[in-house]
Amino acid sequence: MAQAQDEWSVTAELARLELDENEALRLSQEAERMRELFLTMSDADVENLEPTTHALAQGNRIRKDYVNPFDSVERLIEASPEQEDDFFLIPNVL
Amino acid sequence: MPPLSPDWSGVLGNPERKDLYFRQVRETDRNIGSFLSFGPEESGAEIPREGSLTGIPVAVKDNIAVSGRPLTCGSRMLENLKAPYTATAVRRLEDEGAVVVGKTNLDEFGMGSSNENSALGTTVNPWDPQRVPGGSSGGSAAAVAAGLVPLALGSDTGGSVRQPANFCGVYGLKPTYGSVSRFGLTAYASSLEVIGSFTRDIDLMEKAFGIMSGQDDNDQSSLAYSPAAADSSRVVMLKVEPGMLEEPVARAYKETGEALKSAGYSVEEVDLPFLDLVVPAYYTIATAEASANLARFNGIRYGYAPDFAENPAELMKKARHEGFGKEVKLRILLGTYVLRSGFQDQYYGKAQKIRTLIRKELSAVFSSSDLLLMPVFPTRAFLKNDPGMDDYKQRLADVFTCLANLSGLPALAVPAGVEKGLPAGVQFMAPAFAENRLFTVARDLSDAFPLQTAPNFMDIGGLL
Repeated sequence: MAQAQDEWSVTAELARLELDENEALRLSQEAERMRELFLTMSDADVENLEPTTHALAQGNRIRKDYVNPFDSVERLIEASPEQEDDFFLIPNVL
Repeated sequence: MPPLSPDWSGVLGNPERKDLYFRQVRETDRNIGSFLSFGPEESGAEIPREGSLTGIPVAVKDNIAVSGRPLTCGSRMLENLKAPYTATAVRRLEDEGAVVVGKTNLDEFGMGSSNENSALGTTVNPWDPQRVPGGSSGGSAAAVAAGLVPLALGSDTGGSVRQPANFCGVYGLKPTYGSVSRFGLTAYASSLEVIGSFTRDIDLMEKAFGIMSGQDDNDQSSLAYSPAAADSSRVVMLKVEPGMLEEPVARAYKETGEALKSAGYSVEEVDLPFLDLVVPAYYTIATAEASANLARFNGIRYGYAPDFAENPAELMKKARHEGFGKEVKLRILLGTYVLRSGFQDQYYGKAQKIRTLIRKELSAVFSSSDLLLMPVFPTRAFLKNDPGMDDYKQRLADVFTCLANLSGLPALAVPAGVEKGLPAGVQFMAPAFAENRLFTVARDLSDAFPLQTAPNFMDIGGLL
């Protein structure tokens, strides 16, 4: 179990999730239970099958490359938590 | 075209009736909690346009964008976000005169089966306030079941429209993948999800679906809609192991099969031997896509940001730690794991091949039948904080619903009676683009299972 929990800690780091000790323990146990469920797929015989990425994919649709005016610019900027002139303000992290 | 539901048209067009309507909904919803935000637009702009849905109030799940209204996704992460534009599906309804009146509660980012994973509100089942409305689109299902609106939108990634519809005793449609544009729907698992609808009136559902469906330049995966042949006389019914369903659900399921025979359908049982693979494959794919889609919520680009952080990595971690709830964190963790270098073939790659297997098997089923009858969920609406239905069991219970998402096929939850005060129901699945068969079979069952109303159902008769 200890080893498995380490594995989940590494994964949490990759996912940019900060977990406190209790949360890390509880989530790793729940995740481990789901992983065991996922492992039941290993017996499925899918040897010669191609993977499905989209159920009804119909290939790429293309259009002409032209400037299409976007009428929500102001509303987009207003929707950000903080803004200055035409810019989004993000937290200072340096 | 004449207005479809004459009872509703005119309510919002008349200022006095409109005020009364908004007051009455607020009053009724105090005990249910369907809405996270509700009310007329500040501009008072909702004078209904002329169209086939003129004056029909619509509730929209709060992960679908409606310009100027909140778009919280039931998450602290987006608690203060207002949508700067409107989802294509909603805009198409508005163009036909429908009027958005509020945004409904959901499990955070659509992840859950009870609405108990919402960080921003509690919704109860209109049939019994001790019970959950289902999820993740629980607020939309409850709003229709309580009579607050005749039409509500939800999103269905693994059953999030059909399961709450089933718990609340209303119709719930998960259309063919790509038939309704996802533009304006906050992405959770992009290859699985689609915008669906709730009604108590199958004609209104059909009409709304017809309006919403069709290709959209803003959604690469949206498809031009051309309906499949309407034949719907041959039904196959999934053989369910004894004990898999609670007794009232098993009874409703059996009675539906009998009612179909009485209505002239041929009904044969079918085994789906791959059913055990459905839940693991679904959760592998859904969590993988969730981990990628939710990476954008990092304290910089969108949503909640902590007041202080030493460096960018810490900022992201703090934002996600404080902004996400436990089910979302678990699914991001799992999704990141199954996509990790070294594990990807074993989990994600395998699940995608199983998806191909499932599609092939279902295609074989539909080569000799028109509709597949299945349960929606093993139980009727369960109790809040039910220890017998923990998060893990809820995920396992998605087996009947997530099949339609893995295969992209349309499915409709249909009420089939009320047992001891709680609705029971079934679902039908059809080949791609055969939504018309779903509407037909629902109509054909409406004599055998007339729709019943929840206690304290809001009757709009008093407004007219």
